[in-house]
Amino acid sequence: MNKIWPIWAAILSAAVTVGWAQGAMPTDPQIAAIVVTANQVDIDAGRLAKSKAHSKEVKEFAQRMITDHTGVNKSATELVQKLHVTPESNATSESLKKGGEQNLAALRNLSGSAFDKAYIDHEVAYHQSVLDAVDKDLIPNAQNAELKALLVKVRPAFMAHLEHAKQIQSSLGKSG
Amino acid sequence: MLSHRLQPPRCLSGACTIAFACALSLAGALGPSVAAAPRTKPGSAQTHTVTIEGMRFNPQTLVVRRGDRVMWINKDLFPHTATAASKAFDSRSIAPNTSWTYVARKPGDYDYTCTFHPTMKGKLTVR
Repeated sequence: MNKIWPIWAAILSAAVTVGWAQGAMPTDPQIAAIVVTANQVDIDAGRLAKSKAHSKEVKEFAQRMITDHTGVNKSATELVQKLHVTPESNATSESLKKGGEQNLAALRNLSGSAFDKAYIDHEVAYHQSVLDAVDKDLIPNAQNAELKALLVKVRPAFMAHLEHAKQIQSSLGKSG
Repeated sequence: MLSHRLQPPRCLSGACTIAFACALSLAGALGPSVAAAPRTKPGSAQTHTVTIEGMRFNPQTLVVRRGDRVMWINKDLFPHTATAASKAFDSRSIAPNTSWTYVARKPGDYDYTCTFHPTMKGKLTVR
């Protein structure tokens, strides 16, 4: 565990702190790209965790991330089609994507309880950072009322996922 | 404490309106006395609605009479469950924009949760 920790900390830090360009005001097409990417990144991590996780609790959490974020993305995609908004990739969405790929690469090298811990630690940090972005960058800047409403509607899910991940983090800490 | 009356779900979408209309027709099928003063005779059962939205059960606590129906409507974008801690009832997965109805036959206090999202809590009291 000690050997992988420094690598993991670097990846985690890259994934979570890079990206939210301070002071930038994302447009609706950029917000759409950020939302879709943020969900997809967590779906991809969930798919890997569903197959590699050690504990039942972590496997079930991974399935929940796949199901919930897929549901959110389905609605987001339907909405942008209805609004004729073409998601526009931007520094934030690209950073999320890159962070997601780095996370998957790091997780692929782990197994057993080390995998569970790394996945859940990242889920806690990831949901916290996405929640911060939703509150500080996305909701305040969304121009279209329906896009803003969708963000407001899904915010509690990010919050509940964060709390759920923290609960698992705590129980893994006790058992491991 | 007064038992809850049939109330429209607090949402605006068409699907919810349809679900509510179904609730009304369901209630109608049980007899014309749904909105009248609560009685204990068979046929006087009410239908209560709990809306699941934004990772919450609304209302979070609900008091019903024995024999009443409780309908959970899922207005979130992904599935939820309404599952009693005691396992007295368990909806299993309720898909988005669908509902699950439970006939509350046994008096008691039932704390319940969504098994998918353990941060969600609700309470059903059957008098």
